[in-house]
Amino acid sequence: MATYDFLFSSLGLKEWCAEDASDAPMSMAALLNKSKGTEGEATSLWDLPFPSMDALNESCAAFPQSRELTQGLEQGFLAIKDNLSIVLDPITQPLSWALDATLYGMVNTPWWIVIPILLAVVLFVTKSWKLVGFVAGSLCLLAFIDYYEYAMQTLAIIFVCAFICVLLGVPIGIAMSRSNMMQRLTVPVLDMLQTLPPFVYLIPLIFLFSVTESKLYGIAIILYAIVPVIRLTNLGIRLVDKDVIEAADAFGMTSQQKLFRVQIPLALPNIMAGVNQTIMMSLAMVVIASLVSAPGLGVLVLQGIRNLELGVGLVAGLGIVILAVILDRVTKASLARINASQKQ
Amino acid sequence: MDREIKVSVRNLYKIFGETPDVALEYVRQGMGKPELLEKHRHVLGLQDINVDMRDGEITVIMGLSGSGKSTLIRHINRLIEPTAGEIEIDGKNVLDFDEDQLRKLRREGMSMVFQKFALLPHKTVLENAGMALAVRGFTVEEFEGEARKWLARVGLEGNADQFPHELSGGMQQRVGIARALASNSPIMLMDEAFSALDPLIRSDMQDLLLELQEELKKTIIFITHDLDESLKLADHLVILDEGHIVQQGEPQEILMNPNDPYIMDFIADINRARVLRVRSVMERTQDAPAECAGDISEHDNLESVITKSNGNTDLVYRVTRKGNQIGVLDMKVLVKALVPTEPSDSIERAQL
Repeated sequence: MATYDFLFSSLGLKEWCAEDASDAPMSMAALLNKSKGTEGEATSLWDLPFPSMDALNESCAAFPQSRELTQGLEQGFLAIKDNLSIVLDPITQPLSWALDATLYGMVNTPWWIVIPILLAVVLFVTKSWKLVGFVAGSLCLLAFIDYYEYAMQTLAIIFVCAFICVLLGVPIGIAMSRSNMMQRLTVPVLDMLQTLPPFVYLIPLIFLFSVTESKLYGIAIILYAIVPVIRLTNLGIRLVDKDVIEAADAFGMTSQQKLFRVQIPLALPNIMAGVNQTIMMSLAMVVIASLVSAPGLGVLVLQGIRNLELGVGLVAGLGIVILAVILDRVTKASLARINASQKQ
Repeated sequence: MDREIKVSVRNLYKIFGETPDVALEYVRQGMGKPELLEKHRHVLGLQDINVDMRDGEITVIMGLSGSGKSTLIRHINRLIEPTAGEIEIDGKNVLDFDEDQLRKLRREGMSMVFQKFALLPHKTVLENAGMALAVRGFTVEEFEGEARKWLARVGLEGNADQFPHELSGGMQQRVGIARALASNSPIMLMDEAFSALDPLIRSDMQDLLLELQEELKKTIIFITHDLDESLKLADHLVILDEGHIVQQGEPQEILMNPNDPYIMDFIADINRARVLRVRSVMERTQDAPAECAGDISEHDNLESVITKSNGNTDLVYRVTRKGNQIGVLDMKVLVKALVPTEPSDSIERAQL
C-alpha cells in the first residue's frame, strides 16, 4: 500500500496501472525500504510524501519514475545526435581549422617574431609606449619561467574565439536593436547562456563532438563569452542620441547609411566595452575548457589540482592573471581612445 | 510683397494615442484638449493648422513649450506623420510621396537646424558641414570646397579639422547652419535653433541669419519660444497655443492689434520702442507736415526716433521710403504707441 493509491482508484485508473506493472528500475529509496523490510507500514500525516513522480509510481507502476525523465532526455539527445552532427559538423569545422591553425602558428613561430608582432599590435591599438613596455615585461617574465608556450596557446584560443564572438555577436546585437520582437526572443536565450554554469555547456558538447576536436572547447568558449558583446551592441545602438538620429533622418539618410555612418560609430564605445568583457570571459572559460582538452595555462592549473602540484597550479594561475591584466589594459586603452575622439 | 506660396499647411491635425482616427472625430465635434486626454487618453498635438509660408520669407512659429510648435515643424519633412490634413510644397502634397520621393525631398528640398545641434560627434567639422552632400553620395574630396565655402560664410574658416566637441555651443550651431546651407536646399527648417545659446551669442546668430537671408532668400521656417527673437526675425509670425493657431500675420500687425488675451499677456512685457517700426505707427499721408523736424525711414524703430528727437514730444517727422514721403509721425502718437494694448483682464471684464 502506498500513499496515493486512492488517487488512481478514484480516477478509475487501477487497471491501467496494473497493466504495465514491472519490477524493473526502482528508486534507491524503495530498494532500501525493501531491504529493511519496512515497506507498507502505516505512515502518519507528518511523513506525507510530496506527490512526486516517484511517490506516484509507488501507487501505480505504470506511472513513470523521475529517473525515466532524465533517462528519456538522454536517450532523446542520443537519438538526434547523429542527425545533429551531420548538420553541425560541417558548420563548425572551420572553427576547428581556425583554432588549430592559430595554435600551430603562434606556438611554432619563433618567439623573437611573435613577441614583436604582439607588441606592434598593442602599439597600434593603444598608441601608448608605456603599455607596450608593460606587455613586453609581462611576456618576457612568462617566457623566462618557461610558460611561454602555454601562454601563447591560451592567447591563440582567446584571439580566435573572441574574434568569432565579435563576428557573430555584433550582427545579432544590431538585429536586436532594430526589432523589439527580436530583442524579446533573444534576451531569454542570453540570460540562460549567462546563468547556466559553464560546466553545463560542456556536457552536450562532449556528446556531440569528439574530445580530440578543438571545436569542442571553441564552441563552449564562444557560447559563454558571446553574451556581453551582443548585449552591449544592442544597448549601444539603442542609446545613440535621438537628436542625431533625427538629424540623419531629416537629411534623408537611408537606414543603411544611418546604421554605418551614425549608429555603429556612435555605439562603438559600448561595443568595445562588450568586446573587452567578451575577451575577459573567454579567458575565464579557456581555463575551464582545459577539462575538455583545451591546451594552454588551464592545463597546468588542472595538473596542479589533479596531481596536487601546488607550485605548478599557483604559477599557472598567476600567468592567467598576467594575461588577463594585459588583455584588459590593452582593450581598455583602445576603448579610451575611441571615447576621447567622440565625447559630446 | 506677395511672393509665391512655397509651403502650405492645410487643416492639419495630429493626435497622439492608440486610435487617433477615433479621437479625431471627437475633436472635429468640438472636444477640447483636456477633455480628450481625460476621457480618451489621447493627446491633441495639433488642431486645424492652416499656414501659408511664402518663398524667400522667414516664417516664425512661436509658442510656449507644449504648444505643438516642434511637432508642427516635423510634419513639414514628415519626421512625424499627421493624423489628418495636407502639406503642400511647391503645390505637391508631401503626404502622397513614397519613400524615394520623400528621401529626395529631405536630401535636396529642405534642410534642418536643431536645438541641440545634433552634429555627428565622430566626424570633423568639415565632414559635418558636408553631411547633406555626403548623404547624396559625394566623397569628402568632392564636397570639401562647398563645405569650406559655407564654413567660411558662418565664420569658421579655421575650425574645419576640429571635432564638434572642441567647439563652443555657438560655434557648434554655426556648423549646424553651415550644414543646412551646404545642402543648397530652398527650404530651411530651424527648430529652436538658437534657444540653447546664451543671449549675446543668440543675438549674434540672429544677425548672422538675417544677413545670410538678405543674400540667399531661402524659405525659412523658424521655431522659437522667445517673443523678442520672433519679432526680430519674422516676416510672417504664427502664434501657437495648445496646438492651435491663436493669431498669425505680420509681426507689427500682431503687436498693434492683438486679437487674443493670450497674445496681449505675451506682448505686455516687451520693449515696444525697440520692436515697433515707424511704418506701424505713422499716419499715412502725402501732405507735408507744417513743421518738419527731419526725415526718418519707415524701417527705423521707435527707439532711434526717440533718440533723434532728444525726448521732445512736440516734434513731427516726415517718413520717407527711398526719398519720397509716405507719411508723417507725430512724437505724441509715438509716445502713445509705447503703452501696450490694455492688459487682457480689463478688456475681458469690459466685454462681460
